[in-house]
Order: sequence, then C-alpha cells, then structure tokens
Amino acid sequence: MAVADRRNRGAILALTGPAYLWLTATIFLPLSAMLYCSFLDKSPLVPQPASLTLKHYAAFIDKPVYQQLMLWSLELGAVVTICCLAIGYPAALALAKVIKGRWREAMFLMVVLPFWSNALVRTFSWAMVLRPGGIADQAIHVVAPGAPVLNILYSYPAVVIGLVHSYLPYMILTCYISLQAIDDSVIEAARSLGARSGALFRRVVFPMSLPGVLAGSALIFVPAVGSFMEPRILGGAKGATLGMAVEEQFTVTANWPFGAALSFMMLAAVLLICLALYPAARKRMEGL
Amino acid sequence: MRNRIGPALLTAHLWLVLVFLYVPIVVMAVLGFNASPLYALPFQFDLVWYKALAGNAKLIDAGINSIGIAIVNTAIATALGTMAALAFARYKFRGQTVMQLLLFPPVAIPWLVIGTSMLVFFYWVDIKRGLFAILLGHVALSLPYVIVVVGSRLATFPRAVEEAAATLGATPWQTFRRVTAPLLAPGVIGGALFAFAVSFDQFVISYFLAPPGVTTLPVEIYGAIRKGFTPEINAISTIIIVVSMGALLLTARFYRFGGER
Amino acid sequence: MSKLNSRITRRRFVAGAGAVGLGVFAAPRIVRAQGGKITVLNWQGYGTDEKWALEAFKKATDIEVVHDYFNSEPEMITKLRTNPGAYDVVLTNSAWNSVASGEGLVQAIDTTQISHFGDLNPSLRDSALLTKDGKVYGVSWVWGMTAIAYNTEKFNPAPDSVEVLWDPKNAKRVSVRDDAIEGVSYGAIATGQDMNHPKDLDKVKAKLLGLKPQIATLWSSEDEWNKLFQSGTFDVSVYWSGSAARSKNNFKLPVGYMVPKEGGIGWFDGLAVAANAPNLSGAHEFINYMVDPTFYVEWATKVGAPASANTKANDALPAEDVGRQIHSDQAAIKRLQFMAPLSDDERQTYSDLWTEVKAEFAK
Repeated sequence: MAVADRRNRGAILALTGPAYLWLTATIFLPLSAMLYCSFLDKSPLVPQPASLTLKHYAAFIDKPVYQQLMLWSLELGAVVTICCLAIGYPAALALAKVIKGRWREAMFLMVVLPFWSNALVRTFSWAMVLRPGGIADQAIHVVAPGAPVLNILYSYPAVVIGLVHSYLPYMILTCYISLQAIDDSVIEAARSLGARSGALFRRVVFPMSLPGVLAGSALIFVPAVGSFMEPRILGGAKGATLGMAVEEQFTVTANWPFGAALSFMMLAAVLLICLALYPAARKRMEGL
Repeated sequence: MRNRIGPALLTAHLWLVLVFLYVPIVVMAVLGFNASPLYALPFQFDLVWYKALAGNAKLIDAGINSIGIAIVNTAIATALGTMAALAFARYKFRGQTVMQLLLFPPVAIPWLVIGTSMLVFFYWVDIKRGLFAILLGHVALSLPYVIVVVGSRLATFPRAVEEAAATLGATPWQTFRRVTAPLLAPGVIGGALFAFAVSFDQFVISYFLAPPGVTTLPVEIYGAIRKGFTPEINAISTIIIVVSMGALLLTARFYRFGGER
Repeated sequence: MSKLNSRITRRRFVAGAGAVGLGVFAAPRIVRAQGGKITVLNWQGYGTDEKWALEAFKKATDIEVVHDYFNSEPEMITKLRTNPGAYDVVLTNSAWNSVASGEGLVQAIDTTQISHFGDLNPSLRDSALLTKDGKVYGVSWVWGMTAIAYNTEKFNPAPDSVEVLWDPKNAKRVSVRDDAIEGVSYGAIATGQDMNHPKDLDKVKAKLLGLKPQIATLWSSEDEWNKLFQSGTFDVSVYWSGSAARSKNNFKLPVGYMVPKEGGIGWFDGLAVAANAPNLSGAHEFINYMVDPTFYVEWATKVGAPASANTKANDALPAEDVGRQIHSDQAAIKRLQFMAPLSDDERQTYSDLWTEVKAEFAK
C-alpha cells in the first residue's frame, strides 16, 4: 500500500475528485444548508426572518416519543440486517463455492433480478400475499384446512418480511463478490494441511469475506433505519418509525427545521453505531 | 473426508431463498392478468390491463424515461465510483476516513430531506428542474453504493497477484489492464447493478426535480397510490422485469458474471 | 484468446447500451401548443386532469393543459414558492388560501371573467377564507364532508353517532385516516369541542388513545381505502363524502355514509390564479370551465365528485345520484364544523399529539 507522497497526491485527487465534487455539489452542500436550517426557528423559504435556536434538538430530548421512535427504527434496522445476513450469507456461499458453471450464472441473474422491480409494487404484492384471505392464507388452507386464519399483515413480522425481502439481494450480492474472490487454491491448501470444514470456514473463508459482509450490512442497516413506506404498508398502525415522524414535518406541519433535526439525529445515531462496530471489524480483517 | 451434506444443504438453502425472492414478483405478474381493478380474488384472467397500458402513453413514457436515466446514471456512477474506490484501497491518505464517512449521509438521511434540500438548493443556485437536475441527483445517490461495493471487492483481493506481476516486470498500466481489471470486474459489475437499481427505483429525486409533464416510473407508481393503483402498474412492472431478464441474459453472453472460472 | 474476444465484444456492448441510453435520454420531446397553454397545480386525479375534460376544453379554447401535482398542502406552498411563473391555476384548500395570498403567491381574480361566478353558493363564494380586502383570491369550486362511512351489509340499522368508532363491538373493524389534523378534529368532535381550536388537548389525546383496540389499520389514500374496504379489512371509518360516492358508483362497494349527531368535518376547495401566471386569460377560462355545470355533471356522474360550489351544477345532477343525496342533506350540513386555517404552532402541537398516539398504537 503506497503512502501518500507528492507523486501519489495527484493520482488520489484525480481518482476521488470527480466523485466527490459531484457529491459535494449535489448532496453535501444542500445537506449542509439543511443542517443550518435545523438550527433556525422557521422554515428557510418563509418570508419572515429566522433566528438561530436549539429548540428542535431540544424537542427531541424533551419529547420521549421521538426517542422511542428512534429506538424502534434502530432496532428494526438491526433485525433486518441480521436476518439478511443469516439468510443471505449461506446463499452467497452456495452461489460462490458450491454451484459451478452455467448454473451459477443463471442463479446469480435470478438473485439480482428482483432487485430491479419497483419497491412499492413489491411491497403491495407482499400485502396481498400476507393479508387474511390473501394468497398465503389460501395456500395454507389448501394444505391444512383446519388451520386458523393467517393474521400476519399489520404486524411487526410482516414489516420485517417485507424489508428483508427488499434488502436480501444487497447482502447476497456483496457477500458473493467477496466470497468469489477467495481463491479455491487457498481453501485446497488449508484442507491439505488438515483443516476440517468448520475450522476452515471460521478461520479462512469467513474472515476473508468480511469486507463483503460489512459492505452489505452497512448498505442494509442504514436505509432500513430510515424506512417508512414498508412499515406503513405492511405494518399499518404497528409500523411507526422515525421516518414517519420526519415525513410529518414535511407534509403536515411544514416544519422543515424540525424534520431536518430529526434526520440529523438519526444520521448521528447510525454513524455512532457503525463507528462503534468498526474497530471490532477492523481487528478481524487485520489478519489479511 | 469431504463433507457431502454441507454443500447439499447450502444448495437447498439457495433454492429456498430464490423461491422467497420471487414470491411477490410472481404475485405481481399474475395479478397483472387479473380482471379486478381492486386486486380482488378469486382470479379471473383478463388482458384488459395490458390493453389499457398500450394506450397509456404517459406510463410508457415514464418507463422509458426511467430506463434512459438509469442507463446514463449507471455509466457515470460506476466510472466515478470505481475510481474513488481504487484511490481508497491503493493509497492511505489523511482524510480518507472522513471521506468514507461522508458516504453515509446520502444513504442515511431520509429521502424527503434530501429531496427537499436539493430542491431548495437548486432553486437558489438556479438549476432548473429537468432531466439534467434529475441525473445530478441520481448519480449522487448511486455513488455511495458503487464505492462501497467496489471497495469491498478490492479489500478481498489477493494483492499478491498484482505485486507478482510488478516484480515480473509489468508496468503499472499493464498490471492494471491484465491483472487488476479482470479481478476487479465482478465488483464493478456489482456496483453497476446497484447503480442501475438505485436509479431505476429512485423516486424522491425524480419527484422533486422533474418539470411538469415529465415523470419517471417510480413517480407514477407513487402517484398511483393516491389516484388509483390499478393492475396497469403490474403490467408495466412485469414487462420491465421480462425485458431486464432479457437484457441480463444478453449481457451474460458477453461476460461471465461469475468471473473467470 | 477467447477471453480477449469476449472483452472486446463486451466493451462494444457496453458502449452500445450507453449510446442507446443517451439517445433515449436526449430525444427531444417537444410539445407545440397553438392556442397557448396553462399549467395547473393540483392533487392527482382530482377533477382538473380528467382526460375527457381537457380534450373538451382544448376543443373549445385551443388551450393545452399541463399538470403538476402535489401530495400535501405544505408541498403545494413549497412548489409555489420555488417555481415562480411556472403555474397558472392552483388548487387551494380553504384553510390554505389565506397562506398563499398572504405571501403573495396567488393573485386577485378578475371575477368578471368568471361567467358562473354569480351562481356560486354565497357562503362559499364570499367566504372570508377565500377573499382578502374585498378581492377574491380563490374561486370556490367544490365542497365536501369528512364523516363516517360504513359497510351497509354489516350495519343495520345505520349508525348515527361518532361513538360507533369506539364501540367495543367493532373492535379491529375500524379505520381512520393517518392525518394529524383529521385525527385531532374527530377527537375534538367526540369530546364536544371546537375541532379547529380544541381547548382541552389532553381529553382529545385520551379519546384518540381509546381507538387502539378498535383500529384494524390506518388508511391514507382513497385508493387504499377502496382496497381495504373491499377486502373486508374494516367495516366503518372516517372518510370523505365525494370519495364515498365514487366508491359506491364506480366500484359498487356497499358504502353507507352519515354525519354523526355530534358533528362532522366540512371543507371546501378554491381554484386560485398563481402570481406571475404566464397565461392569465387562459387561467380564468379554465377556472370558469371547472365551475361550469356541464363539466361538473359529467365529472360527478361519470367519475364521482364532491359537491359543486355552483348551486345550478348541483341541481343539474340526477336525483338518484349518490353524491347529490349525500350533499343535499341539510340537517347533516348544519352539524358540520368547517376547516379553518391553523397557526404553525397549532399544527405542530397536533402533529406531535398524533405522533404520540400512533406510537401508542404501535406498542
């Protein structure tokens, strides 16, 4: 790994410049304006002059309901991420190491395809499947006529199912990309040295695929925390999240500063969690 | 002693996962052929929604807009993102961690906030609503995904191969073209797939920055929730899935997604 | 060797795909309008964008109508603020018109260009909510109620009290809209208070919390309501009058509608002309067409609509029209409280209250 010296600085700038310039102009500057806005007492577009205040952040601390919503959202994000990991990693492992040849391509494409369907349409289809009298219910009754009516829609499990379904391809894709890079010869070598499958996995395969696991986890946890459409559609009254509260501030109260404050609190929470887990992950990857 | 059960279990698990992934897709496709506008069961086959779709120029235009924007977005985001990921992996420099942390806000901040902030900012900077503004936003939201995905591939990379090539006398450019690029390719493809998905499903930017009269498919679908979500939406979604499948299969002919094996 | 070939072909393929993308993307889509055009800002699917209406209007005036939509009233205001000169006609709810006119986002209407102006119901037409300093800033267009819709197959005899929402017999069979203002309003009505400015918010909150065992789910759009009602998810809910007429007419759902004896919500919408509207005369012509009985009758009977502010238009409806029956119940109308503008603080308070109620529902 080359250390940053004068020669490399040009390369670094050339490589990261375009992407970060783009991000700065379209996201960082607008979001900085929003961050500033969160300290105003009035929405920036309102003609009356605004003054600086901490009251929106104070509201988050004063009103327990917003902290409750934040906790629920973080919890939802964690649950969805862990489920995606538990379900997605073995699937990626199968795809990368077990399936070979043309089959692997075909199944890879099959995994990726649902990725490209519209999230809302997918979620509504889940509502159709999970509702009482819906498709899952009818299927169960075909097999077991005496079973009670499936009442899973408008509950927390339904929200988790919907979100896991949406984000599963992310995890499979990122884990696959990492697993697929692990040379088979490394595995062969470890086996020939006497490693059994369990140890092989724990000490060789999994640590080497950790970057993929972390990438997938981050790309799932972060947006899942902010989700509010799936919780609304599949959770009904049980689908209360912080994203829902943010939406209120933009569609009902026109209180952008408060909505911005809530969003930045959410960003802060997510960053803190990821930063807290980062050293532990680093350590496991150190061996590489 | 080779473990026979392990691989078999993994394969079975993969099949189950595929079934799970396709449940709503199949339901969505089938209901596009159901007569009831309210998605009422029992199922009654009818092509009425496909016929309605054929006459629905607005929805078709929206679909075409979405695909066009997504393709351009994918090209730009993948290129810029891969370059940035290479820089993070190959060089260690001050500020690197901060720059990586800055990838969180686009993904973490709720879309309403991002959309509104872009709307207001573009208004102040006098960038008019339009396809250019939409593209600006789409690429920005796709970049974190590309950078993270390509970055994770680079991290798993057997660096030794590159170093071996260098010691054997290959120039940095040759090393890149013959060694790094092919090994990197699955990561880049993965990033491109994400970028396409993000753009194609991207509704917030398009909603806020599209000029009157121009829409994209996700915006139409979101609007349909209020106005009337008819199986026409299912019909166009099914068509798109089928077309995507075709495009992916076609691309697979030219490139092995599985990597060189 | 084959690897090299596949790489070259792949590059070409990618380039080709990119070219296709750019071509599609850059293809000019130019709309040439001869008689001029106007841009209308409204909810999607709310009368002004009916295809047949726009065709008829184009035939009569040669004006092309382009639409932009909003999904919430604050969004409507934001769009007006950030797109000066982009819109001609804007739909403003009576509670929001004064916000728009106060900021100079809409301009005074030249009522001499509205030939049907005299036929409009005076209590709506001259309402203080749509006028300022003797000038008209919104032409009252439609009005409606937000009251109780119920499944006629499940409720016999019909309910008449708002308490039907809280009746334990209807546990898990009730729905309300996910809207803070509407929620607080009904909480106020059910506790006998002024729905716009209830004095005892704790009472309102306690009443709303009582809905927890009752609600099956919350609904937020008419389309969602129809699907949920049809699949039997709930049997009684708070719902809009025009939408109830539509659900009955179009989707043949067994919908009954009543305004509780404790009261209901009334609202009306006005069509305004945006400040800096590029096509002033076109805007006035369009508004006039919207309050024209020929447009209204076709809209109401073909699609379903709230009541028209034009008394002649309402009278032109067939007697058995569901919408007409709902909206001509004078006794019911007397029980309505009409929506009024709220201050930012009030809106924030109600929103916080509703968020707390929803958080309780979710526990």
